[in-house]
Amino acid sequence: MKTAASAFLGLIVLVLATGAARADGAAGKEVFEGSDCQSCHFTQGPATEKTIDDQLAKMGPELWYAGSKFQRPWLEAWLQDPQPIRPMKFNSVMEPNPGGHPALSVGQAGSVADYLMSLTSDVVEAGAVKVKKKNLKGRLIFVKKMPCSGCHQFPTKKKFSGGMSGPSLVGAGERLNPDWVLAYLQKPKVFKPVKMMPVFVGVLRDKDMKNVAAHVATFK
Amino acid sequence: MSRLLLMGVLILGSVITGIGIAADGEKLFAFYCAQCHGSEGKGDGPNVTGDFPVDPRDFTETAEMNKLSNADIRNVIIDGGPIADKSPMMPPWGKTLNDEEVDALVQHLRKLCNCTGKAD
Repeated sequence: MKTAASAFLGLIVLVLATGAARADGAAGKEVFEGSDCQSCHFTQGPATEKTIDDQLAKMGPELWYAGSKFQRPWLEAWLQDPQPIRPMKFNSVMEPNPGGHPALSVGQAGSVADYLMSLTSDVVEAGAVKVKKKNLKGRLIFVKKMPCSGCHQFPTKKKFSGGMSGPSLVGAGERLNPDWVLAYLQKPKVFKPVKMMPVFVGVLRDKDMKNVAAHVATFK
Repeated sequence: MSRLLLMGVLILGSVITGIGIAADGEKLFAFYCAQCHGSEGKGDGPNVTGDFPVDPRDFTETAEMNKLSNADIRNVIIDGGPIADKSPMMPPWGKTLNDEEVDALVQHLRKLCNCTGKAD
């Protein structure tokens, strides 16, 4: 009898929770569209860009896989205080990022985060990257063997180092889902068919990519 | 008459193709290469901060560029700096660019250096 009652209660909680999430996702979509976010950010996937011009026509990062890419707590906080992630303006290697991304209120940020976290890609395999405190193999590839640091800022003892053309990876451990970082390396065409970052498929082995993703996950 | 017409079509076709490749090369360079080599190819792209461990090649240095054959340039674009004992900061673009795009880039670099390079 006790077991049946517990199961019934559990079912009610599950239904309520699902309903709440759905409602918040819908509310977030309303805020997203009402704020005209879609004028810069694609939320429809998969990617269809075929040429450099297609990529350059985009005004901001695509968000159709935001739920696979970002970590929810970071996303919700960033939406309230959106500081630039890219040193350079989106799609530009010459113009500095002017900042000025619109900020959302606490309530709006929560709703929009719910909505964006509902946008996922099924090629991202949960748990594919094992994150530890350090990944020396990944570090060696990131800093020495491959040119990652040439385009991406990353944290160092002196604060940070690295290039300017790619998104900064400072704080990536809190911002990015390591499984998405791996998927982005393994299947770049799914997420961004035309991009300034080289394709490393056939250059790095799968285990190297996993190590790089695990190393990026350590970035504070 | 028909021979003349055919010749004219062939010449026009070559000119158009030539322009197309040159335009693509410029666009490809601006998108992929300028981030390190600079928009004018002088090796001064935005990634070349004080932390950048090497000096990206200045493609406007005619004498230096003349030491390289087109095949030398192609190899480095495709396989990255280490294939020519240079820095891994020069990425391997062979999995990103197709042959036509690599050729267009080589042609664009030849324009920047205003040189033809040594024979392949």
